[in-house]
Amino acid sequence: MPGDEGWFDRFVDGLSDRWLFKLFAKWVLVPLWAWWTPVKPLPGGPPQSIQPGDNLQCMMNLIMPLKDKSPVGRAKAAAAIAQNKDAIYAGLNNVGTVHFARFVIVGDNICMFSVYDGDFTNYIRDFIVTIGEVFNAVVKLVEGGEKVTPCEDHVEAFIQWVHERDLYQVPDTATDILRDQEALNGDRAASGNDDLTLLPRKLTLQLRANPNVSLGSGYRAYPGFSAAQVRERLGIGW
Amino acid sequence: MVDASVAKQLVQAIIDNLPEPVPGKRPVHTIGMGVKGEFVASDVARTYCIAEHFKGERVPASVRFSNGLGGPERHDGWSDVRGMATRFHLPNGAATDLIATTLGEFFVRNVADFFEFAEVAKLAPYPRRSPWLKIWDMLQLKLPPRNPYPNETRNVNAGALRYANRHRFAQLGVVQAAVIGAPVSYARATYHAVHTFVVEDPDGVRRPVRFSWQPVAGVRNTNPEVVPCDDYLRQELESRLRRWPARFMLMMTIGEAGHALNDPTQPWPARRIRVVMGTLTLTEVPEDQDAAGEHISFNPHRLLPGIEVSKDPILEARLGAYEVSREMRGGCPFRWS
Repeated sequence: MPGDEGWFDRFVDGLSDRWLFKLFAKWVLVPLWAWWTPVKPLPGGPPQSIQPGDNLQCMMNLIMPLKDKSPVGRAKAAAAIAQNKDAIYAGLNNVGTVHFARFVIVGDNICMFSVYDGDFTNYIRDFIVTIGEVFNAVVKLVEGGEKVTPCEDHVEAFIQWVHERDLYQVPDTATDILRDQEALNGDRAASGNDDLTLLPRKLTLQLRANPNVSLGSGYRAYPGFSAAQVRERLGIGW
Repeated sequence: MVDASVAKQLVQAIIDNLPEPVPGKRPVHTIGMGVKGEFVASDVARTYCIAEHFKGERVPASVRFSNGLGGPERHDGWSDVRGMATRFHLPNGAATDLIATTLGEFFVRNVADFFEFAEVAKLAPYPRRSPWLKIWDMLQLKLPPRNPYPNETRNVNAGALRYANRHRFAQLGVVQAAVIGAPVSYARATYHAVHTFVVEDPDGVRRPVRFSWQPVAGVRNTNPEVVPCDDYLRQELESRLRRWPARFMLMMTIGEAGHALNDPTQPWPARRIRVVMGTLTLTEVPEDQDAAGEHISFNPHRLLPGIEVSKDPILEARLGAYEVSREMRGGCPFRWS
């Protein structure tokens, strides 16, 4: 903020936006602090909770790097989805707990974003039963996918594989990422000898460990209602 | 109930930490403005709460917006918590209050925490940080503390940070307060009632809830990079209301078993059922500001049948503390209806 400061104050106040400092931070400071104060990747998916509201409209943000990183590879992925449209719709209607699901190609990744009710492992189990063939068609195009296909024969391994590619969901509030980090390190103390000024570094290093994340729990127009309740109230049945 | 001596100590702890107490005025949220308006409940509100103002009739309302800082000086452009105290005037002469601030979560859980906070977060000198220390901060990937505002020589930031470093429950409130900014208008901020209340529906079902006012005009803060203006919020709202009414939606979030119902430091997840309870339309800034806001003694316990306070210890303490503050400035005594 401009005021009565001298030129050196002004220079330093704007330093973090200068390209040289940004370069220095990217190539020196961040790797240095990541080495000195290592941060573990936080697990993906919604946090464990027994509360009903937390088990409705859960997000899955699956990022799967394609083996073939070319337009041809991306076209194959697009074709795999298009060829299985009927299977996807019939399967999702049968699962009955999905609010929406979509596939997206971003860069050289095929992504599946969905909002579902209930437990994550049951959600994937239901998928394997109802649209396992679609998963097989997509996952075989993905790095590391051959180890878990056909998914019907590797149910638990497949669930774990999906979980590992589901994005970490950064909490809605600024300080809850600290609680997630503490929980991952087994620290569940109510009070500590913390240094809140380190929040920017902790966030930076976490986003280095989890480069792709979901920001916040996401807005919902009708939170707290299952897909079944919404369809029932709209009178459109199953 | 918190006894009267504790309530006095609470208010005194606040007064003792003021840069300059103002006799006859509120110790905090000293600078404010009164606005007239009316509240109309939504069609669904009455199915969740039997309180009179949720029945759907137009209810006249008095709103006092305020800056959180205590003392006689107006600093609209400083980063600060803002207040929105609303009185609903019922046709039978009864009234009910809803007191909210832009801070989503409080920084202490109970009275004992508050006294410790008041002890730790004392007013202290707030000099400009040396550029060399700022460089050291940046090398540690820390965000340097902001520069002092013009004429800002003391604040409680260092003490609040010390307190939050000791107590994890306080961290969210303290961080939020530190980055809260200044709204471009009192009508462009979200205000949270913070505490849990219990509402009763026509079937006698009781639900724990939290209320928020959401601005229809949207949330917008000033640019923190420019020198803040000390006096603009009053004129902005007067000018805005001369052109067009300002509206707020009253949102009610329903809590679930297992929530921290009685802990105002704990947020509720955004994934809880959220009900639109009504719309407040602000129409006019009355000339008589004493009657419109300054002389109204709000109290979060001024409730109607159908809404009750929870067992939140801070909410409980506010009953007495607001009364002590009211007595000190010679305001209207608290009435239950």
